[in-house]
Amino acid sequence: MTTPAPLAVTAAALRRLVRDRTAMFFVVVLPVVVILIIGLTARGFDKLRVGVVVPDGSGPLATQLAEELGHDPTLTTTTYTDAAAARTGLRRGELVALVVLPRGYDTALAAGRPQQIGLLTSVQSSDQQAVGAAISAVVGRQAARVQAAHFASVQNGSGFGASLARATALQPGTTVVGVHTTLVDTGASTLPAGFSYSAPTMLVLFVFINALAGGAAIIQARQLGIHDRAMAAPITARTIVLGETLAALVLALLQSLLIVGIGAVVFGVHWGDPVAAATLVVVWALVGTGAGVLSGTVFRTPEQAGAIGPAIGIAFGMLGGCMWPLEIVTPLMRTVGHVVPHAWAVDAWTTLLSRGGDLASIARPLLVLAGMAVALLALSTLRLRARIVR
Amino acid sequence: MNAALVIARKDLRQRVRDRSALVLGILAPLLIATVMSAAFGSAGSFHTTVGVVDQDRHELGAAFVAMLRSPDLSDVVTVRSVATPAEARRLVHDKKLGAAFVLPLGFTPAAHGTATARIEVLGSSDQAIAREVSAALAESFAAQVNADRLSVLTALATGTSAARTAHLIAASARLRLPVSTRSGDIGAKRLTAISYYAPSMGIFFMFFGIGFGARSYWLERRSGNLDRMLAAPVRPAEVLAGKALSTLVFGLASLLTMAVVTSVFFDAQWGPLPAAAALVFAIVLAAAALTALVAALARSERQADGVASTVTFALVLLGGNFVFVSSSPELLRRLALLTPNGWAMRGFVDLQSGAGASAAVQPVLAILAFTAVVAGAVALLARRPVSS
Repeated sequence: MTTPAPLAVTAAALRRLVRDRTAMFFVVVLPVVVILIIGLTARGFDKLRVGVVVPDGSGPLATQLAEELGHDPTLTTTTYTDAAAARTGLRRGELVALVVLPRGYDTALAAGRPQQIGLLTSVQSSDQQAVGAAISAVVGRQAARVQAAHFASVQNGSGFGASLARATALQPGTTVVGVHTTLVDTGASTLPAGFSYSAPTMLVLFVFINALAGGAAIIQARQLGIHDRAMAAPITARTIVLGETLAALVLALLQSLLIVGIGAVVFGVHWGDPVAAATLVVVWALVGTGAGVLSGTVFRTPEQAGAIGPAIGIAFGMLGGCMWPLEIVTPLMRTVGHVVPHAWAVDAWTTLLSRGGDLASIARPLLVLAGMAVALLALSTLRLRARIVR
Repeated sequence: MNAALVIARKDLRQRVRDRSALVLGILAPLLIATVMSAAFGSAGSFHTTVGVVDQDRHELGAAFVAMLRSPDLSDVVTVRSVATPAEARRLVHDKKLGAAFVLPLGFTPAAHGTATARIEVLGSSDQAIAREVSAALAESFAAQVNADRLSVLTALATGTSAARTAHLIAASARLRLPVSTRSGDIGAKRLTAISYYAPSMGIFFMFFGIGFGARSYWLERRSGNLDRMLAAPVRPAEVLAGKALSTLVFGLASLLTMAVVTSVFFDAQWGPLPAAAALVFAIVLAAAALTALVAALARSERQADGVASTVTFALVLLGGNFVFVSSSPELLRRLALLTPNGWAMRGFVDLQSGAGASAAVQPVLAILAFTAVVAGAVALLARRPVSS
């Protein structure tokens, strides 16, 4: 049994690629490392980083407040004794706010002197109000106990320490006014934080970039005369075009499978409805294939494809919401972003991962992507055929 | 050393003719800086409009609305009365309101009795900050009411007679929480996206020069050019120095273009000129040394490409050129300081946030130390025989 001619061309193209260790680094190693790093960084998107300066020799009330801030679900805290180091962290944007407890905090409160806690916020963050409000809520709970202890000791001379212990014990059962937050919608229009953010966006980014860089292999095959030699055999230019296109598609699909697999197994990403996710992966691979084969006909040298391709891929990724959610950019840039296919793919992944969408709910982005894939594939295969027969 | 200059000059001429180098060195970073600048055009301060559905119509409901409308909060929220919870839901859903509060019927009587009264905050997934700010405002209102009640109960529990309850309630209503927060800032300058990504993307693309330089060294070997050069009184180290020098000039041209264009057209802040220039020069020097190292390590043109790509991406990933490293976990922030570009970004962040020019000293020294180690390794490797 002989291999059909287009598949033989595909196999030859894939063999050339697999032997190229640099290409394998970009296809296999780099995406995984990028997903890891961006996933780790994006993990804290939903928590506000706060520093708490507790001066040396502070009493139990100060320490307790630092602990309670650390337990707040919206905050992640670091405790400092050195105010200068904490201020540097704030200036660099490592912290969004700094809580500075005054010296003698415990003694002053026990003596009934009101205390002001310094709340330094960073201009680096748009979260100033949110962090201020969260901190005030925690401070308010401690202040309530201190107020109650002081009130009781004034009323009946029971002593601040004893009253404070009593107030602390009573507090959980005496909440008369509670706050309850209700969401009016079912899901966000941005991807979840952490690896569920980095894995789908990097799938979109890397499949496209590697497809563009893969154009170099087509140019090299042309330069080495592989296409000319193949044409000496009884096969048509169409067979070579089909073979090369299939090779690009197989590569894009393999890379997608790798990212989906590692995302699910190593990083615990839930890719959503399997049928919808699989369809999206295939359609995106087709978009990448079209763009990749096109790059193999537009660039003149493998160096050009290898150098300019990734730059275009990164710029498209930025425009299309792979590097940051399009929700945070200006409305004009959100519209402009949807000129590149990436924005539609990220929209579709967001629907699948954040809103539990199915195939029907991503029909619109899928259709747009399919249209782009058809246009790119038609243009690129026509150009490649023209280059081979020339 | 003259030979190194000649080789560098020839390489640079080739590089100018090779459009891909120009694209990577100048056009790509500018294109990406433009995209970023457009994406993050205006990042104003936070303000939102909240709705209030006051079904309570008693004193606590009125006190809550008065707190929201207080001058202290006018910078943060604008308050709008809404008739029904359903309408409030719709307005929040349609993003006409950042969030809404519902004070239910019987809120005040419940709070004065033993039942729990609840302020409901209606928020949407996409307006997380407005939702959190609103929840926290409701929490701080609740804190005072709850504190007053806790005060009465604590007094009763520690010995005050139950007969004095009415007196205690009246007295507690005059209490104010003894701990408050006082806001301030540390006088830092705002770090904008363009100010961070201009140097970070500039360095990223400048690092591509490492691959170009190292690759061209091995291309010269394949074409026999290198043998011809070595037939002249030129040492292998001088050839490597020439390659490094061309990366140095290419890198300087690339980063300086980026600095000038982003400063003039996009208002990127690179920091005080001498300090920023020192950082730029140091990081370009490091790239030049890395070029020589990759050329000396590799054994073929393909290997040079592979090693350069691996080194470049390892450095930019660890060094924080793709992510705002300040908001990364501490481990990543520490790892970034193992790379020269991580130190450069640390220096630029310090300069841009107003730390003063002296903040560049430590990063420059760290980058120079890295460069010295790399140059030492190159010197050792260059002693290996050239012929394969």
